[in-house]
Amino acid sequence: MENLLTIAILLPLASAFLAFLLPAKKPGAIRALALFATGVSLLLTLYIFSQFDRQNAGYQFVKSIEWLPSFGIHLKFGVDGISMVLLLLVGIVSFCGALVSHEIHDREKEYYILFLALTSGISGTFCAMDMFFFYFFYELAVIPMYLLIGMYGSLPAGKHGRTKEYATMKLTLYLTAGAVLALVGLLTMYYAGGRTFDMVQLRENLRGSGLNQKWVFAALLFGFGFLASLFPFHTWSPIGYAAAPTAASMMHAGVLKKLGTYGIIRLALPLLPEGARQWVDLLAILACFNILYAGLAALTQKDWKFVIGYSSVSHMGYIMLGIATLNVVGVTGAVLLMFAHGVMAALTFSLIGFFYHQTHNRNVPDLSGLARKIPFIGVCMVMAVMASSGLPGFANFASEVMVFIGAWSQGSTLFRIATICAVWGIVVTATYLLWAVRTSFFGPFDEKWNMLNDATTLKQKFPYALLLVVLLVVGFWPRTLIDIIKPSVAKQVLSQTVEPKTAMVETR
Amino acid sequence: MNLYATQLECLLVILGIGTLLTDAFRPGGNRRALGYTLATLVFITLLYSFTIHPVNETLFHKMYRLDAFALFFKRLFLLATAFVLLMGAEFAERFETGVAEFYALVLLAATGMLIIASVNDFILLFVALELVTITFYVLTSFLRRQTQSLEAGTKYLILGALSSGFTVYGIAYIFGTTGTTNFDKLAGILHAQAGTPVPPFILGMLLVLTGLGFKIASVPFQIWAPDVYQGAPTPVTAFLAVGSKAAGFALLLRVMLAGLLPVASVWMPVILVLSAATLVYGNLGAISQRNIKRLLGYSSIGHAGYMLMGLAAVNQLGAQAVMFYLAQYAFTNLCAFLVIVAVGRNEISEYAGLGKRSPILGAALFLAMASLAGVPPLSGFFGKFQLFAAVIQAAQTDSRFYVLALIGSGAVVVSLYYYFNVARAIYIEEATDITPLPISLPMRAALYVCMIAMLGLGIYQRPLVEAATLAAGVFGLR
Repeated sequence: MENLLTIAILLPLASAFLAFLLPAKKPGAIRALALFATGVSLLLTLYIFSQFDRQNAGYQFVKSIEWLPSFGIHLKFGVDGISMVLLLLVGIVSFCGALVSHEIHDREKEYYILFLALTSGISGTFCAMDMFFFYFFYELAVIPMYLLIGMYGSLPAGKHGRTKEYATMKLTLYLTAGAVLALVGLLTMYYAGGRTFDMVQLRENLRGSGLNQKWVFAALLFGFGFLASLFPFHTWSPIGYAAAPTAASMMHAGVLKKLGTYGIIRLALPLLPEGARQWVDLLAILACFNILYAGLAALTQKDWKFVIGYSSVSHMGYIMLGIATLNVVGVTGAVLLMFAHGVMAALTFSLIGFFYHQTHNRNVPDLSGLARKIPFIGVCMVMAVMASSGLPGFANFASEVMVFIGAWSQGSTLFRIATICAVWGIVVTATYLLWAVRTSFFGPFDEKWNMLNDATTLKQKFPYALLLVVLLVVGFWPRTLIDIIKPSVAKQVLSQTVEPKTAMVETR
Repeated sequence: MNLYATQLECLLVILGIGTLLTDAFRPGGNRRALGYTLATLVFITLLYSFTIHPVNETLFHKMYRLDAFALFFKRLFLLATAFVLLMGAEFAERFETGVAEFYALVLLAATGMLIIASVNDFILLFVALELVTITFYVLTSFLRRQTQSLEAGTKYLILGALSSGFTVYGIAYIFGTTGTTNFDKLAGILHAQAGTPVPPFILGMLLVLTGLGFKIASVPFQIWAPDVYQGAPTPVTAFLAVGSKAAGFALLLRVMLAGLLPVASVWMPVILVLSAATLVYGNLGAISQRNIKRLLGYSSIGHAGYMLMGLAAVNQLGAQAVMFYLAQYAFTNLCAFLVIVAVGRNEISEYAGLGKRSPILGAALFLAMASLAGVPPLSGFFGKFQLFAAVIQAAQTDSRFYVLALIGSGAVVVSLYYYFNVARAIYIEEATDITPLPISLPMRAALYVCMIAMLGLGIYQRPLVEAATLAAGVFGLR
């Protein structure tokens, strides 16, 4: 069982090495390998999920290999409720990403190597129990994106004359800047906590170690905040997604970005509870900027991918607000929203990729009446937009409500105001998304889109349907995930952070 | 015992003189084959060096040591020499004359480096340093009809001679104030005199630092690096970047951490400031470069800054991190220079589409750039990780090191920009020239060795970390 988890994480990376050895002239074999690796990883993850002990809030399926004794580094993987849910997200999105990658016809070998390395980097980060390997996989996940966007991306001219080269360099530099800032914080914790990289051990050792948590927490919060597109470090995000190829946007907006908030939840909150209390007010304010500023920015966008890009920055604000509440309901909501938004963002970007591959145009005003020609994609897009706007029945609704309840029950005036701002953010979201979907999918049909082909076969429909089904299942039955997230949040993340009073807030 | 301790040096001298004799008796033989043979022989010497064990006493009137530290560096220099000879063989057609002399000079410089690894006395330090530096004066200007190469040679000569002068002057001051040139005795005397040493001694120390700073291309003695890197024949540039720089660091570590350790509180702030300045200069200077050798010249300044971070920390981890870094930096840089020799072009724009022209060269150069930038799972990542860890460890007692760590973090981000610009040329830009590039079999093998080493040391760091820990252990730091 322990080994299965390790296999699920490292199989894509191993396949990337294998693909390196395969001849570039056989793209079919390499694509089959990528589908096999991500598919088997997904199945293993589902199996692990089914075996997950829901009563146990601690880490399960822990596998530890001594790696570098002089530093106390172990290759140690394990999942608790939070990592389990996010690992599931990686499995789903990476498999769907590999499925929709059939649109790549140039240099497939390099493409799949990078894609597989990216996948392993993300799942490795979510499951690492050793801070060194957490950082190792974190950086491993950030870098392949440079070439994925640069080699396979596209950015229609017009946005201030920016090129995809600009977009991908900006993204890489921002994310690396955040990562090295976080590294300084992590190393400080390593020394203050008695030279161990083991997260569980470190948490014990840091308690009462006399470490000045304020600045270490700031290094972690803003370091990871870069990747989580925390305002004002978010500017790499919309243009990066706009320039990326479909599967890369899906992975980045859907999953990779969550590494940032995951880093805050997994390392900053539980290990530095003192520091957390000093910064949450600022975090809540910045989260409101994320929600409203990015939402208003999305209103003015014309390019579908920019609309969704800003929308994803805006949604990260809800997650950040949930984290800032420091109570079980809010943080659980944030984790669930990470999952829900991940699936929703992947779905939206894959749908945009589907029609952009044929139209080579994703400018909202240029598109009209597409639903007549590609009804399946149109329906999926409407559903995705509904989910994104937080309509009941979708996973996003349940999680956003939890964030609002958490923020409101936090009690301070600041958080009450923040909650009001966040609720208004939903209206903004609905405005730009409904405008975009109405303009491009409905309205008078433009004859020049007569050449579009819909997804007709089951094989074509599968990835979109899978993502949609996940959204609906979690939306109608959120307890499948909440029940395993909540105990872990209470025990692994917040047991030292919250005063007993707020910990008692119960939703059900 | 003396012969046992110096057998590697003896072997290289025999090889060097043998090369000259071969050329004298059979002029105009196959130059390429000679280079491959020599590279193989040096590689065998490297393998042989693993049978040699450290000797626990000082030799040659306490001037020479063969401890774990010396052996670590000797192996590193042998490795670099083997690769440089291989590059020289690939490069041989581009030399008009004197290919055998080129190989012989490389071997003699390597001998000097091997001695440097064992230096335990300022007198031997100066002799060994000059053996290396004077050989490099000739090597850098080996393309005698190219003005750039001559310019490089002249610059290196003038600045090198100046810095050698500073070094001797400094040694004289140190001898004058303490009465010894031996590192062990010096440490004993300094330890006995508590408190700050007298100003002439500090002056002497700073002057010695000037000479060593020139070798590693640290600010403010870095001006020569970009010009010389650009003008020198590519194998020589590689040798400068890998061998000469490692030799400079071997001396710095030995002088600072063995001889001058008791006065660490005096020189540590100097190294700290130099490290920060070197990081900033090297990385900002590299941004606008269009020539890949010049870019690597600036980048080598930047990397000197990272490694000075480890020295400034004055702890066991710092010393071992510098040694780990040098070893992985050797593979990484050699990989980059092998590709430059194979492509035979120096402008970054001429690397456009390299990934399509030759997938292996493209992949090798990309991995080398990513490793220089410090991206996992490549070896450069773990090298930087250790250096940062050493600095943060030092910061636990002296918060100035946090500033150094933040400057280092900024440097990492900046360096990513210019290294990935090369990556952009390789993979993203369209090729202007699409003729396939043929690669010889030894070259291909060398590239694979470098790539496997970069990935291997990045993922499974343990063997090299343990070797570096053992080697750095000779200083007895905490």
